[in-house]
Amino acid sequence: MSKLSSNDYLTLAGSFHGMHAITARLSPAPAVPNPLPASSAPSPFINRPTGLEVLESSHFRIQCFQTQTGTKFLLFTEPQQPNVDTMMKRIYELYADYVMKNPFYTVEMPIRCEKFDRGLDGFVKVRG
Amino acid sequence: MVLYSFYIFDRHTECIYARRWTPRPASSGTAARPQSGSSITSNGDAAPTRKALTHSDDEKLVFGLVFSLRNLVTKLGGDDDTFLSYRTGEYKLHYYETPTRMKFVMLTDTKAPNLRQYLHQIWATLYVEYVVKNPLAPTEHPMGIGVANELFEAGIEAFITKVLPV
Repeated sequence: MSKLSSNDYLTLAGSFHGMHAITARLSPAPAVPNPLPASSAPSPFINRPTGLEVLESSHFRIQCFQTQTGTKFLLFTEPQQPNVDTMMKRIYELYADYVMKNPFYTVEMPIRCEKFDRGLDGFVKVRG
Repeated sequence: MVLYSFYIFDRHTECIYARRWTPRPASSGTAARPQSGSSITSNGDAAPTRKALTHSDDEKLVFGLVFSLRNLVTKLGGDDDTFLSYRTGEYKLHYYETPTRMKFVMLTDTKAPNLRQYLHQIWATLYVEYVVKNPLAPTEHPMGIGVANELFEAGIEAFITKVLPV
C-alpha cells in the first residue's frame, strides 16, 4: 500500500462515499420482501440495499462496514485475510466502548482517543 | 450462480454491448410505499422521490463507478495493482480491463467466485474472434455498431451456459 498525503486520503474518502451510494443504487436484484411479521414496528433500516461491502484488488482487500447511523469503517487487509467480519465487529465494539462512551469526544470530529488507539493496536497485534 | 447483467465499455467511455437478465422494476419498494408524514423524509433521505433508473443511466453509472474504483485502487496499491471485484449485500460486480482499456463488467449474485478469468476468456475467444476479426465491423464501435452480431451473441449464450461455473 502506498503512503499518500492526508489531502489524498480526504479526496479518496470523499469519492468512496459517493461510490458507496452508487453501488447501493445499482442493485439489480428485486427487493426482498420484509421478513418480519407485520405486527412489529416498521423500521427504516430494513429493505434498504446495502452499498459496497467488500472490494477486492490484486494487492489488497477493503472491508466496508456501515453502522446504522451512517458511519463507515474501512478495513484494509491482505486479499486472503480470513474472518474480517468478526474483526470488524470487534473494532466496532472498541469504537463504541472507547470513542462513543468518551465524554470528551465530540461526534463527527476526528477521533483522538488514546485508549481506542491502544485497544486497536493490542487487538491487531493479538490477531497477527 | 445468478447472472444479472453484462457490459462492455470501449476506451471512449461508451457502452458498446449490454445484456441484462433481469428487468429493472418500474418502481422501487420505497417509492410505492405511502408516506404517512413528511417527518420520515426529513432526514435527507431523498430515495422515495427519485425516479427509477433507465438502462442507459445504469450503463453510465456502472462505467463511472468502475472508473473511479479503478483509480482508487491504483492510487492506494500502486500502478501494478488492478481492481478485481466488489460485493454488496445484494450483488457482486466483476471487472476485467484489457490492455487497450476496454472494460468488461459482469454483475452476478454475491456467492459467485471471481470471474475475472472468464471475462478474459470472453474477450479472447469471443470478442477478438467475432468482433475484432470481423472484416465487416468498423474499428471503433460507436453506439455498439458491429459488436452485437449473431456469432458473438450465440457465443456469449453458449459461454454462459457451458463454461461459467454453476
